[in-house]
Amino acid sequence: MELSKALTISASGMEVQTTRLRVIAENLANQSTTGSSPGADAYRRKTITFEDSVDQASGTEAVAVQNIGQDMSDLPLRYDPGNPAANTDGYVKLPNVNSLVEMMDMRDAERSYQANLAVMQTTRNMLNRAIDLLK
Amino acid sequence: MDLFDLADRRLAWLDRRQSILAQNVANVATPGYTARDLPSFAATLAANSSPAMARTAAGHLVGTRDKDLTTVQPRPDARAPDGNTVSLDQELTKIADSETSQGLVTSIYKKYLDMFSMALGHSSS
Repeated sequence: MELSKALTISASGMEVQTTRLRVIAENLANQSTTGSSPGADAYRRKTITFEDSVDQASGTEAVAVQNIGQDMSDLPLRYDPGNPAANTDGYVKLPNVNSLVEMMDMRDAERSYQANLAVMQTTRNMLNRAIDLLK
Repeated sequence: MDLFDLADRRLAWLDRRQSILAQNVANVATPGYTARDLPSFAATLAANSSPAMARTAAGHLVGTRDKDLTTVQPRPDARAPDGNTVSLDQELTKIADSETSQGLVTSIYKKYLDMFSMALGHSSS
């Protein structure tokens, strides 16, 4: 039954968007996490990518998380000699998290989640109508 | 071709289309994903849809990709920098359209069944 496959696919879409939201929450929570030893790297922003995945058992093509990686862009420096993570010149490495970028990403994840939910509701209506044929 | 057969085919087509559209929406953030769609129902009907190979044993391979899928031509400005061509508004419009068509077909099917039961002497509901 293709309609129940559609439900599975929408569910996988919602699942990956949830994982994406988790990564965004981690980034936002750690936006001022510096290293603990002198000169150590601060928290690096995490990134998430998706892929088109085929489930061989049911033949459905859904979506899955491909990789959760790190944003390797330069960590910004701030002059703060009193900080325990300051290097010999007195500079502290700060996380490369930009809260504006994370907010935009969060909105995008929310919208995608909503779209998947809308598809799921439509599919359910269609299934119900098919079942009503029996009445 | 009688009405039941036609309704049956239309419902099967809508079923498949719904899962393909759900796939497009689920992959809205997948880099390089190209939005897909079925050929129109009229075209499918005209080609008399040669039947797919049956899976008669569990060991048979499931076709990983449907060969008869057409890719949706994106608007020139719609391709995202990561190569994704899914346009959410387009997909959701198509899904709403599928739902309406399915409602129409199921109502016609039901009406036709009622006519049968009326001819058989049962009071129609």
